[in-house]
Amino acid sequence: MNKICVIRRFIPLTTKAMKCYPTTVQTQKIHRWVAPTLMELKVREKKLGGKKYSPRNTYLEWNLEAELYAFGKRLNEDFDSDLLLQAFTDRSYVIKEEQKQKDLGIDIKMKDNRELASNGEEFIKNYVQVYLETILPRFPLEGVSGVREHLISEESLAHVSLHLGTKDIILAAEYPVDRFILANAFKAIVGALLQSSGDERAAHFVRDFVIAQLQGKDVNEFWTIDDPYEMLTNILKKEGATLEPRLIGEAGKNTILACYRVGLYVEKKMISSGYGESIKIAKEMGAREALKKIFGTEDHMKPNFQLEGIPKPNTNIRYQIAAS
Amino acid sequence: MSNKNLFLKSGFIRAPIQNGVGRFVPQLQRIVLKFCKTYGASQGLREFIEQDLVDFAKENPSVVVYLKPRRHRGPVIVAEYLNGDRVWMSVHNKTHSEITKWIEVLRTQQGDISSLRLRKYQYTDYPSVQGPWTPFTFKDPELNTAQLPDPHFGANDRLPITATEKLRLLFEKQKLSDVKTAE
Repeated sequence: MNKICVIRRFIPLTTKAMKCYPTTVQTQKIHRWVAPTLMELKVREKKLGGKKYSPRNTYLEWNLEAELYAFGKRLNEDFDSDLLLQAFTDRSYVIKEEQKQKDLGIDIKMKDNRELASNGEEFIKNYVQVYLETILPRFPLEGVSGVREHLISEESLAHVSLHLGTKDIILAAEYPVDRFILANAFKAIVGALLQSSGDERAAHFVRDFVIAQLQGKDVNEFWTIDDPYEMLTNILKKEGATLEPRLIGEAGKNTILACYRVGLYVEKKMISSGYGESIKIAKEMGAREALKKIFGTEDHMKPNFQLEGIPKPNTNIRYQIAAS
Repeated sequence: MSNKNLFLKSGFIRAPIQNGVGRFVPQLQRIVLKFCKTYGASQGLREFIEQDLVDFAKENPSVVVYLKPRRHRGPVIVAEYLNGDRVWMSVHNKTHSEITKWIEVLRTQQGDISSLRLRKYQYTDYPSVQGPWTPFTFKDPELNTAQLPDPHFGANDRLPITATEKLRLLFEKQKLSDVKTAE
């Protein structure tokens, strides 16, 4: 009886105390055993020689022939199936296979993709150069080659190659394949396409996958101009015009947030303006702006990724900044 | 969805390798259907395989379809994408029509999008088309020819309205309403 009374007396007290506890605090519910278990698993994995990577082509559900067929269909191209297989065979794989065959005492000739890759590389280089010259008609050769070097760099080609699904199909000695093998496989695919479908199809392939990477990028960033103001004055001098920089705005002078605006004038007409934290920088920015206008590579320029066929080279007619 | 309590990868909505600028590449590269030949849980998937799979493979030559019968195990669909994503989906007890719809989802998406938390619903490399703001961006053209100092440009136009001015305005308003009532 006494006990019940005690409890009764304390019921309002306990409810009051419970009310004080915040009940809406969100906490992440991860059991306390999770972290130690994961750590232990990691230690055991390390003991066994680290994480094992099993390449996709060692799976039970893998059919190389079907993969090669789907690869061609995906890209909307008709590849010669033997050539395509050859394009995916890396040199390292052939060396490894030959060693294996020597041990077994048999000899089956295998072709690697070196020749296809060198053909493809040559074609990509030439085509990208000609294409860029055509879509950027007023851009100097140095700039064009800067853009080209970016497009055909190993990094860029490996990126394209990876996203076309070559990663799993490539036959190599070691997996996962590195960037060099990926880029090489892409070049070899272009080489294979060149042989199986001809120049124009291969050109359109390169246009759609390599040159399309320029989408959303500023072509001026691939060419560093050391002294844009001097370059601009030289170009204008050749045409018999003189450049006149004028300070057309200044704000916050002698503060850390100073801003100057310089306009560049030719025969009392403003060709461009630039701003910066000092007059020198503002002048340089203005010159860059003017150069963009002269080269036809303004920020609002429209890229052309739909050029049909292979354009004719016009390298000889074009001017080079360094030569002038 | 907040990031606080979830281990979701976050990112922006993007097309892989500028897909569609040159030509469109379907992003699903292979699909593996794993099922059991006897268990009821695989009934829907078996029906799909019997009735629709050949048409699916014909319509999508870019997708490699693998069938993997496994004795007494649950039905599973695994989709692999060109960007390396792998989507594992259990289709335990799912009906034929449900599976048809799920496979359509897997076929048309561009990767494992359900495991990506979008930071924003739009993306741009160039957030501003007019460039960064400078003190001269919205400058009044009148200032170009003005002779400074000028009381017109130098006046402080940010002060709140004075009490006198307020009264004057009230008075004028009243006068107007008086004229109206007189009429």
